[in-house]
Amino acid sequence: MPEIARSEYLEELATLEASALGGLDLVDIALARTMEAVENQDVELAQVVIADDDRIDGRYLEVHQSLITLLATQSPVATDLRLISALLHVLKSIERMGDQCVNVCKVIPLTGNYAPVDPRMIELIVKMGGHTKTLIMQAKRAFEERDVEMARDLVRRDDAVDALNRECFHLALEIGDDTDRREWAMTMLLAARAIERVGDNAVDIGEQVAFVVTGLFREFEDASHPS
Amino acid sequence: MLGAATKRSAAGEGEPAKADQPTGATPTEPATKATRGAKTIEVRDVDLYYGDFHAVEGVTMTIAPNKVTALIGSSGCGKTTFLRSLNRMHELTPRARVDGHVSLDGEDIYGKGVDPVEVRRLIGMVFQQPNPFPTMSIYDNVAAGLNLNSSRVPKSRKDEVVERALRGAHLWEEVKDRLGKPGSSLSGGQQQRLCIARATAVEPEVLLMDEPCSALDPLATLAIEDLISELKNRYTIVIVTHNMQQAARASDVTAFFNLDATGKPGHLVEVGATDRMFTNPTEKQTEDYVSGRFG
Repeated sequence: MPEIARSEYLEELATLEASALGGLDLVDIALARTMEAVENQDVELAQVVIADDDRIDGRYLEVHQSLITLLATQSPVATDLRLISALLHVLKSIERMGDQCVNVCKVIPLTGNYAPVDPRMIELIVKMGGHTKTLIMQAKRAFEERDVEMARDLVRRDDAVDALNRECFHLALEIGDDTDRREWAMTMLLAARAIERVGDNAVDIGEQVAFVVTGLFREFEDASHPS
Repeated sequence: MLGAATKRSAAGEGEPAKADQPTGATPTEPATKATRGAKTIEVRDVDLYYGDFHAVEGVTMTIAPNKVTALIGSSGCGKTTFLRSLNRMHELTPRARVDGHVSLDGEDIYGKGVDPVEVRRLIGMVFQQPNPFPTMSIYDNVAAGLNLNSSRVPKSRKDEVVERALRGAHLWEEVKDRLGKPGSSLSGGQQQRLCIARATAVEPEVLLMDEPCSALDPLATLAIEDLISELKNRYTIVIVTHNMQQAARASDVTAFFNLDATGKPGHLVEVGATDRMFTNPTEKQTEDYVSGRFG
């Protein structure tokens, strides 16, 4: 059989994949800055993260549009079709991850420039950020290498993030009756929750890896029917 | 109906088709509005030859009633040859030969005493180029099969059949006022619908279509595809197409044929529900073909 490479189309698809997954590097930077801003109560750095989210949104819009054009003009099927479908999901997850970093950064000015009420809460959130960074990079590698086992392992790592989030909640419960302290704790809980969602988005990307490889979409964990 | 079914030996020594189980090839949704005699075609170990040339090797598959089955594959893979073996047109080519079994609802169409003309009435064919009889009127084109099959069909009965066939082919409204005009006066898309009306006028059970839209513009193509999806309520339909999007749009089951090298026989690589074949095919060859990696 003569090989017809469709080389331009395939190159473009590969470029778009790299560009979409490159969005995870942008999220990685945003998350690192967010954690630094949380740790140091750095309102200015938080503003930088908020402004920089336009880059993540821009990446989303640009790659999304190019993928739609490929669908319209190249009639992709089989693995190519699954890859494009997965990339559209991945892009959405990346855009959400960026938004969650923005959500965290928006609450930093609310806590003011004072020392944190309970440094343990800050430690927990920064620890969550560290785990989540690992999740993001592992999701990217699993997608690039089409490694379903590595993708499934994201669930295990995400459990650690969830556990830390619960610890934050318990700390908040014990924060005391003072209104200012309670307000601070609730604000920080919102930040912890946002980071926890970033971890969930990384797991969502892992599920798309499994879809590209196997053709079957299944949630690794069903939140509405936990096993 | 076809006369005594006589078992023929499967003389082909080729490998069996590497395909899904035939039952797996049939989507499980219930046949819709199956009101008349659409029938199942069973193909077992079919080998096709032109003289010494082994054109198609070891095809085994089940073609389900009231479904559209698309045969896809690159040029020379034997899909048209295979299609022509399903109504005994293959043997019209000098030195052409068939080994194996093809049955229509259990009756061997190659059985001893089976009349090939009767087989071709039950299993009609629509060709790539619309081929109305150019000097005949639209009416006579549709009635041609009736005239051939039976010499004494009363005019009123003929009128009824012609109208029904033209309505079934979505052509009646366009031609009812000019039935006496020559078939060749119609546009390409209308001519192809005329040919479909001619094929269905003799009440076949199966319709074979050999690239029925390749000579038509996109709008006429979509009209024929709509018609095909309606016709499957009454017939078993097998369509050969080079247009993979057409296979994806218009068929329920897709069978992919390929050949290992020029001069080698074509064979069935994979057959299955069309949505699966175009989203998650089992065989790498199928994946490469439907993705346009070769062909």
